[in-house]
Amino acid sequence: MKEIQQIPVAQASRTNPFARVFDELTAFCRSRSMFMLHYCTGCGAIELPPAMTSRFDMERLGIQPMVSPRQADILLITGYVSVKTLKRVILTYEQMASPKYVIGICSCTVNGGMYWQSYATAKKLNDYMPVDMYIAGCMPRPEAVIEGLRGLMERVRTGEANGWEDYYRRYDYYLGHQQRLFGEAWQTPTNVIQEAEHYGLAGPETEGEHTALLRQHQQPLEPLEMRIGLKERV
Amino acid sequence: MSGGEGSKALGPILRDVKGAHITSTRPRRSRVDLPADALPALLELLKGRAGFVHLSAISCVDWMDDGQFELVYHVWSYEMSMMVSAHIRIPREPGVYLSVYDLYHPAAFFERDIHEMYGLYFEGSPDMEKFILTEWDGPPPMRKDFDSEAWVNDHFDWQDYRPEWLQELEEDGGGIAIRPDEQRFSRRK
Ligand code: SF4
Repeated sequence: MKEIQQIPVAQASRTNPFARVFDELTAFCRSRSMFMLHYCTGCGAIELPPAMTSRFDMERLGIQPMVSPRQADILLITGYVSVKTLKRVILTYEQMASPKYVIGICSCTVNGGMYWQSYATAKKLNDYMPVDMYIAGCMPRPEAVIEGLRGLMERVRTGEANGWEDYYRRYDYYLGHQQRLFGEAWQTPTNVIQEAEHYGLAGPETEGEHTALLRQHQQPLEPLEMRIGLKERV
Repeated sequence: MSGGEGSKALGPILRDVKGAHITSTRPRRSRVDLPADALPALLELLKGRAGFVHLSAISCVDWMDDGQFELVYHVWSYEMSMMVSAHIRIPREPGVYLSVYDLYHPAAFFERDIHEMYGLYFEGSPDMEKFILTEWDGPPPMRKDFDSEAWVNDHFDWQDYRPEWLQELEEDGGGIAIRPDEQRFSRRK
């Protein structure tokens, strides 16, 4: 994370003396209304219902589950991610609107956990997407989950949780790892480079050999065909 | 019909199957070992004459050192409340066997699964496409000669887990007794 902070970012000069107040207010509000996306990848997900329901009641902290990636702030990755799941996790992550945060729950997301020897389980989640917070344990208790979420809230409030910026800044690095696992033809329906430019985060490491490879075979994205009624069977 | 009687009742049916050897493992379970080419006949007899209509599973064992695959067909009879496991051995190369889909339709899934995990091919099975490992391009992973650990080391990186507090402990001569990279089972002497 340190190297990210060293990259100079052009800061628009502010004329309004109260602007910072609003920035802080925004950051505070953002940290107190976290919508988390329920992508229950592994067995660790079973700790979330108790964390959410009456005894621990996550919602009193302003954290509540959200069904669609478009409206979510946090992506919880609760447990082992198989290579097949990892693809879907990345697609989901890219669909989330920025700012977005990732929490890796369970030892499996840190280092493969008890599936360290499994050919199907990705070991190091932060190779493929930026992880803002890891909550280790097999599986972590609801207290630990809440503690981790509170830690993330604090980091959001102070502006330290900036993994999503890292994804745009160093997209080539993440894409490289994704390509190594999924093959060179890997392509997601999100144009991350364009998004990086949109957020003003495209830097020297956004593009590189891996994005060049992606560009070579990138198919133009087409909207999905919509059909009303049932397809006729032949 | 209870217990051992069930196994005895199988006797007359199996008389027609060449080379079948029956062992009663438990009151309601019998194991039949037989040559590979006699299996369809056995299943047909079991299904037709003794009501073994339920194929609960086909499992596969890789006997790499013998150069053989063992296929186990587990069939269940509701009438006799009895399970029969038919064991056959087939050569590991080329690893081809007949499908029993025409006798038992659920076999399609088991055979597809075994094809994917062990690379065995079932002739006459309706679908030998990928099933669970749809995005897998490595060798069949359940074969004994597939080195899962080597594959993992090739394709993934490990988290370098050396927090500062641990380094301090290590300097004092403590820390993790067996380092994770030395602890891999296959490397243990
Ligand atoms: S760390 Fe344990 S509980 Fe969590 S996903 Fe892995 S095996 Fe399951």
